[in-house]
Amino acid sequence: MVAQQQAPVMGARQQAPAHGRRRWVDRPSPLLLAFVLIPFAVESLWVFWPALQGFYLSLTHWDGISPPEFIGLANYRELAGDATFWLALRNTVIWLVLFGGLSVAGGFGMALLLQRDRRGVAFYRAALFTPVVFSLVVTALIWRVFYEPDGLVDQILRAVGLGNLVRPWLADPHTALYALIIPALWRQIGYVMVLFLAGLKAIDPALHEAARTDGANAWQRLWHVTIPQLRGVNAVVLSVIVIDSLRSFDIVWSLTKGGPYHSSELLSTYMYSSAFQSLRLGYGSAIAVVIFVLAFAVILGYLVRAFREET
Amino acid sequence: MNDFDPSRRQFLGRAGLLGLGVLGAAGLAGCATSANSGSGGKAGAITLQSNLSSAQAKSALQKVVDMFGQRGTGSVTLNTVASETFRTQLPTYLTSANPPDVYTWYAGSVANDYASKDLLLDVSDVWRGLTGYPDSLRTLSTDAAGKQVFVPMNNYWWGFFYRKSNFAKWGVREPQTWTDFVGLCRTLQGKGIPPIGIGLGDTPWVASAWFDYLDVRINGAQFHRELLSGHQRFDDPKVKAVFTRWREVLPYFDPKGKAFPFQEATTALLAGRTGMFLIGTFFADAAPKDALGDIDFFRFPIIDPAVPLTEEAPTDGFFASAKTKDPTTTKSLLTFLASVEAQEAYIAASSGTVLPANPKAKAADTPLVAKGAAMLAEAKEFTQFFNRDSSDALQPTADTALTKFIDRPNDVDAILREWQTSTQKVFNG
Repeated sequence: MVAQQQAPVMGARQQAPAHGRRRWVDRPSPLLLAFVLIPFAVESLWVFWPALQGFYLSLTHWDGISPPEFIGLANYRELAGDATFWLALRNTVIWLVLFGGLSVAGGFGMALLLQRDRRGVAFYRAALFTPVVFSLVVTALIWRVFYEPDGLVDQILRAVGLGNLVRPWLADPHTALYALIIPALWRQIGYVMVLFLAGLKAIDPALHEAARTDGANAWQRLWHVTIPQLRGVNAVVLSVIVIDSLRSFDIVWSLTKGGPYHSSELLSTYMYSSAFQSLRLGYGSAIAVVIFVLAFAVILGYLVRAFREET
Repeated sequence: MNDFDPSRRQFLGRAGLLGLGVLGAAGLAGCATSANSGSGGKAGAITLQSNLSSAQAKSALQKVVDMFGQRGTGSVTLNTVASETFRTQLPTYLTSANPPDVYTWYAGSVANDYASKDLLLDVSDVWRGLTGYPDSLRTLSTDAAGKQVFVPMNNYWWGFFYRKSNFAKWGVREPQTWTDFVGLCRTLQGKGIPPIGIGLGDTPWVASAWFDYLDVRINGAQFHRELLSGHQRFDDPKVKAVFTRWREVLPYFDPKGKAFPFQEATTALLAGRTGMFLIGTFFADAAPKDALGDIDFFRFPIIDPAVPLTEEAPTDGFFASAKTKDPTTTKSLLTFLASVEAQEAYIAASSGTVLPANPKAKAADTPLVAKGAAMLAEAKEFTQFFNRDSSDALQPTADTALTKFIDRPNDVDAILREWQTSTQKVFNG
């Protein structure tokens, strides 16, 4: 098909340079230019320009009121020696691994369980997806009630004889970060499940049929048929997870504000409190640049690998 | 895709034009909205941004605002925001292009901090009309450049609040000295009651009251003000003495207090789950009105009798944005809020535990308020509160240092060094 279509084109180019198709290649029509350039202009104005400004601000000292003052790389030097920043970075990495890893594992598991249409399966899917619909601030309020002293979590632990584990979950620096990951997961698993369900539905049943005929067991079919077929979905899930991890903010801010004493601080909350509470917008921008570099590095690493596999 | 058929092309062309048209319309709409916001809506309508979010205080302020509306000189929309959010968002409100007109906030250093950045409206004309206000309040409302930027509404006080019936039941009395106080804590703990209530979850700033009081009791108000304005260091041995004293009573703090906000600590106090609670009278706005008669307080115990007696007596009131579109209505609202009529109406409709700023206005006629006023009358010096005597930007550094100290009192030296470092960052920007 492809060869047949291309041959006359090539021929046309060689034989008749003045033909319409040639014009298309050399001088794109104004319409095409408009379609490319207008969105580009809009994007530049609303996305690229503010992003570049963010880079510039990270090189300044700015309180948001008086004009920014250029100070070179001083903000980055300060970051390198800022213990809170390293703590926030460490917490962000823990968050990325635990939140990312568990939501993929949980979401994929749930999708496998719920992919076949059985009676009542729609109810379970809806139930798992419901947390996604709630605003994260509402989610935070619900979980705050669970975690409060003598709240649901404490009551359950006491009921099963683990009363000695009871602690101020969100106020104890050893548990605060993990107590925040759980509500974040509670929400994310439903979302990842829906992405995987869509991917699973798109797999040709004939592949499974063929594998079964060849004597593959359920595990082998999962490993050699289902997972390779989900490659496209995996790219989406990975991007979503990395982006959601790095921008996780609302749940942390509404439950602990990064406290007690920075123990549940993420880069995103530290950026916010530096910029808008301490009014050090230059320093906050430098943290934002670090978040951007991190997100970009993870996603770029994946994309490079994905492209290499394709070619 | 090889041959581009004319009808399709035509369609795309039209779609493209349509898209341009939509973009143009959006652009126009953008211009239109910006023009609208530029003119600032209809004359005489202003916004009052309030952090008085507890039910009683909110409805009391609404009542006062309605009274202003009935006078026909302008209308006010009351916009109430949770206090913690309000504090963190205030710089953003004030620097935005189209800010709310009037704000509930605090006199003193914190107002001066915003005034020094030219964010506050000069309300000197309002002050020219205010008669009988003491000079101390005028000074508190004046910025470094000498103009008035703040209009006071009321004062309140801090102290150890407790339920009279509970103290009677436990057979204990108000302590006078620090030694008495530690003894009281020991007695209450012996009875199985967590002696000292606190609420640091979500409202970590409550811990700053302990720091303020210990510092003014040990080092005096003068040192405290210098420390908070960056002229003394937090790693000074004098500051460490504050924490050494604090450690003596740290074992008597309610361990659950780390996890819930001060409103729940209030509930715990009223339910008899804690013995006493160092808090400002605003907590009463979150308390049921029938419990108010049973509430009493004692002053923060005296540690060194040689240090001049200082009390924490914050002044609440209002300031306005320098960018207000309607300074006339804004100033007439501020004048009204400073009047006897408005301040008495507010006290009548709220929990009534504040003292009006206007000397001619009457405070609520209760033994609690009389006792509070008497305590303030005895004091030689007043402080406002940590953030009010420094800036809103310095408050988070105190929250970090103090909650960390309560958790890890052994690390006090490292904590104070960190506090000094983060303070320097705030002062140097």
